[in-house]
Amino acid sequence: MPAKDVFGRAFPVILLTAVVAICVSLLTYVGSITLPRIEALEVQKIQGMLSGMFPDMSRYTFEDEIYAIYSDEVRIGYAFVAVGKGYGGAINILVGLEDEATIKGITVISHTETPGLGSRITEDLFTGQFVRLSVDDAALRRDGGQIDAITGATISSRAVADAVRITAMEKVKVLEDSEEGG
Amino acid sequence: MGKFAQEFAKGLIITNPVLVLLLGLCPALAVSTSIDNALGMTLAVLIVLLGSNIIIAAMRNFVPSITRIPIFIVIIATLVTVVNLLFHAYLPDLHETLGIYLPLVVVNCIVLGRAEAFASKNPVVRSIADALGMTVGFMLALLMISLIRQMLGTGEMSVFGVHFFSLPVLSSRPVAIFILPPGGFLVIGLLLGLFKWTGVLKR
Amino acid sequence: MDGGAQEMNELIVIFLSMALINNFILVRYLGLCPFLGVSKELGPAVSMGIAVTFVMIIASLATWLINHYILIPFDIQYMYIIVFILVIASLVQVIELFIKKTNIALYSAFGIYLPLITTNCAVLGVTIINMMGSYTLLESLVAALGGGLGFTLVLAIMAGIREKLELADTPRAMKGAPIALITATLLGLAFFGFVGIV
Repeated sequence: MPAKDVFGRAFPVILLTAVVAICVSLLTYVGSITLPRIEALEVQKIQGMLSGMFPDMSRYTFEDEIYAIYSDEVRIGYAFVAVGKGYGGAINILVGLEDEATIKGITVISHTETPGLGSRITEDLFTGQFVRLSVDDAALRRDGGQIDAITGATISSRAVADAVRITAMEKVKVLEDSEEGG
Repeated sequence: MGKFAQEFAKGLIITNPVLVLLLGLCPALAVSTSIDNALGMTLAVLIVLLGSNIIIAAMRNFVPSITRIPIFIVIIATLVTVVNLLFHAYLPDLHETLGIYLPLVVVNCIVLGRAEAFASKNPVVRSIADALGMTVGFMLALLMISLIRQMLGTGEMSVFGVHFFSLPVLSSRPVAIFILPPGGFLVIGLLLGLFKWTGVLKR
Repeated sequence: MDGGAQEMNELIVIFLSMALINNFILVRYLGLCPFLGVSKELGPAVSMGIAVTFVMIIASLATWLINHYILIPFDIQYMYIIVFILVIASLVQVIELFIKKTNIALYSAFGIYLPLITTNCAVLGVTIINMMGSYTLLESLVAALGGGLGFTLVLAIMAGIREKLELADTPRAMKGAPIALITATLLGLAFFGFVGIV
């Protein structure tokens, strides 16, 4: 006798529930395999960016959302993730600091800006401007800083510059507080 | 075998999902800025469409029509999530460039359209042929569009990092509008016109 | 700039970006099926646009709550595709029933478009954009409103142009979808002008 007749009128509901249950368990299984790998890839990506920014890096620690970069047990800088609000949503930026007042460099981790316009914030021509820049000067020229905005992408450029400056100031404060405390 | 080949072949040109049925235009335009992206999207559509056609064809005799659509949506969404996770874990670069268009395969009219119009009424083997034909048709359309857009928009002919040749003039002064959104509309509009025109000629 | 003004500014940027600069149809290519299907006459185009905007706002609210109170706490955010599409599908059903029962005039005006909206990629698109952009609830709602109005605007402009195109001497092969897409090209180029407004 077909399954349909055994369950009668409840069959559509039972079938739908069964399909959902099977699908969710399948997803849980696939998730358990892929999610650790996705996280590992994220860590690897950040690691690669850090060593690109600090070529002398031998190891790093991660505490209070701040990466402390060491070369042969000597601390050579800090790095952290800043989040800017661009056109298309969040722009995640890895910011490196040489010391409390100077930027070592920035790398855009991810963004969803318009291809060809806002997406140019990832280009060296733009990010290169931040290298060895004082934290206070990380703002667009029209806002009183040292950064030239990308033509046609002022909002994206400003989102990056402001996120870098504001987050750097916050993190420097955290660092100073923890040094006073310790 | 004749039937299998027939079901497969119809998706290529006669009922090409993109150029004739106008289905799946959204991914066809969004990811056709480069050949790499076009092939990546094709892979995603292949897995999802093949999976959903097989499962839905296998279930066709006992799925009540009242819950038909919700069941199809759940199955398709599951397959898309699986593809999304696998791409994220094993093809992270592709996952990033496809962006929101990868999860949006779930509302790709080709997938739900084939489930409803074909797989829910036909046996598994023919549904496989249908899925393969539709995917190849989708791929052909995407390759055509992305080839034109990449060549004119960047002046470079390269696939998966392998560089084949650069076009003179265009590689130093590419017509960037072709890889920007309006260029997509232009290319597909002209291609559709061309397809219709050749159809007009035949008659 | 003080906090309130900064926040207001961010909301305005999100609104303009969703409505004009990253227009759903012309830049993100989302919602192309209704764009080609119902943009032939002005009346239906506007009704469809309003229906989509309405569903986008409700869907953004629902998916934001589900994302923040279910998916994130239980650490199952990776299941968002299946959850969001089911939420949108059921929402559309509920809205359709509600309008049918309460306001028959409204139902006959845009009720027929509601079933089409489930598979409209613009609606699922806006919920995914909200999630990936880590928008707050208010920002999500503004994004949905902006996206929906931008969608309606382009649908309406397109309908206006196509009503005139009907009378134009278009080459036979270009009639219908091809000429609509070429028109979209020109509209898209025009919309590029909005990039500079903020």
